[in-house]
Amino acid sequence: MHDDLGKLREMREKALQGGGPERVEQQHAKGKLTARERLALLLDKGSFQEIGALATHEVVDFGLEDQRFPGDGVVTGFGRINGRRVAVFAQDFTVLGGSFGVIQANKICRIQDLALESGIPLIGLNDSGGARIQEGVSSLAAYGEVFMRNVLASGVIPQISVIMGPCAGGAVYSPALTDFVIMVRDTSFMFLTGPEVIKTVTGRDVGVQELGGADMHSTKSGVVHCVAANEPEALEQVKQILGYLPQNNHDDPPQVAPYDDTERMDEELNTLVPADDRMSYDVREVLARVFDRDSFLEIHRGWATNAVVGFARLDGFCVGVVANQPMHLAGALDIDASDKIARFALTCDAYNIPIITFVDTPGFLPGVEQEFGGIIRHGAKILYGYSAATVPKISVVLRKAMGGAYVAMSSKQMRCDLNFAWPSAQIAVMGAEGAVKILRGREIKKAEDPKAVEKTFIEDYREKFFNPYRAADVGQIDEVIEPRETRPRLIHALEVLRTKVQLNPSRKHGLLPS
Amino acid sequence: MENMGFGLNVTLIGMGLVFALLALLWLVLYLIGNIDSLPFLKGGEEEEAPDEERSEGEGTGEADALVHHEGEVDPDLLAAITIAVAAHVAVKRRQAAPSMRKTVPGSQIFASRWVAAGRTRQTDSWTHKG
Repeated sequence: MHDDLGKLREMREKALQGGGPERVEQQHAKGKLTARERLALLLDKGSFQEIGALATHEVVDFGLEDQRFPGDGVVTGFGRINGRRVAVFAQDFTVLGGSFGVIQANKICRIQDLALESGIPLIGLNDSGGARIQEGVSSLAAYGEVFMRNVLASGVIPQISVIMGPCAGGAVYSPALTDFVIMVRDTSFMFLTGPEVIKTVTGRDVGVQELGGADMHSTKSGVVHCVAANEPEALEQVKQILGYLPQNNHDDPPQVAPYDDTERMDEELNTLVPADDRMSYDVREVLARVFDRDSFLEIHRGWATNAVVGFARLDGFCVGVVANQPMHLAGALDIDASDKIARFALTCDAYNIPIITFVDTPGFLPGVEQEFGGIIRHGAKILYGYSAATVPKISVVLRKAMGGAYVAMSSKQMRCDLNFAWPSAQIAVMGAEGAVKILRGREIKKAEDPKAVEKTFIEDYREKFFNPYRAADVGQIDEVIEPRETRPRLIHALEVLRTKVQLNPSRKHGLLPS
Repeated sequence: MENMGFGLNVTLIGMGLVFALLALLWLVLYLIGNIDSLPFLKGGEEEEAPDEERSEGEGTGEADALVHHEGEVDPDLLAAITIAVAAHVAVKRRQAAPSMRKTVPGSQIFASRWVAAGRTRQTDSWTHKG
């Protein structure tokens, strides 16, 4: 018995050492932490319960038989974050470069299964050189097992991926299938094919960070939701995102004790939208004044900046926020903004988070590139996302709500529960100049002074349509409100809608326009 | 009469001892309560860390101003503490940390049958055909 205990303790000690002191030192020299150091930062002190710590591979080819490390390059288990139960896995780059083999996959799949069955969030810390080549097709099949479980858990339990090192080839699809991807700047990268393959195939020289760095993914590809300057910051972001999410799709997100005045009316809101509708303003200013103080957590901040999405709190309750950003492309909806909004709306719906939409968009962005790129199918995703969502939905039209974009952005027909508008709202089929040319083109051409006549027609059109009252007459707007009243109005509306239950037709799944 | 005298003596000695002990206790408590401000202890502290022995930059300028005003808190220090506390609270609130939460994780805020049954129906795509 004594010898048995000694052996167990020795193996446990070896598992704690990862790839050994030399590898750990190399990891630190790169500015990276080890898997266990990361978990210590992420989880509540003393809460981690490891499983599979002693599992090792059984490969006997290519010299791997001499490189057997307990844990096989991944640390898996359960823990608590701010007292909340979570399942975690952290790939250990110090063990065979964190390479992904069958045993590692078994451990990750086990924790995925347990997380799904227990209804608790799953957090993955990725730092792996890729598939373990020595294991051949088995390692590829092992990836498939993980991907399949990512899909099954999608929309059931929150899944958050943190990229803290290499993530290349097929490995990228696991994070891509999760709900949120956080990436550490400079020390991590993600791509399907690396710079060398790209050089061979296309002849183009491209650096690792340029091709798959955090800045690229957070501004161009949109793969990454949040970027962190270093690893502790990335883990802090995990805690913050989790603070707005429930444990699973049957629970509610945690409510914090209300700390901001429910009836607070910010007078600045009444003058925040410029009188001249060609002038822009920062919609984040509106959000900061409406929601609970400092509660807005922006997602996808650097990508598709003509739309703003994120989580916030109203009277302590979590809400999802979607807004057009007039400071970029005048708030017009393009391909990326459509994807961003649709994805976020569906995320909120999956986790029982009400959606508040602030509308100020002149429409979908016109252009050859947009049409060639498929703005039709991308724009349709917004319609799909809002229509399919059954959570409470409230919209506030701040200024422009034109054409198809008006319909898409949480209009009454998208099953929006309450539609508010500010007096500055302009709800119309199209802009005044374009509309007048179509409606009054002949009269303008025939006129002695075409410009003067056109100006008169434009003013007439604006008078008729560039206000919210016409829309309110026909029931498209439920109430025109003073901007300063927005906060209390939203809080009281949500109070009623909190128990909303809406059902969709029974089906296997819908077909998201792709 | 003799007994009366003996009784008075015992009473006086007993009461005297009790009051003397109470006075001693009061003195000890007073000393404990004011131990920081005793002059000989203050002198000792100063001897332990004389100004000339401090390293360059240490305990000079703003730092001195912050700690040397006994009974007063420097406004800058107070502002820094306030900002730090506010930032800490904001972070904890974003994380929905236990000290900030109103509901326990894993709960339905409106745990009504209406919502519970509704969510079950929303997530159950199977329909009874019988």
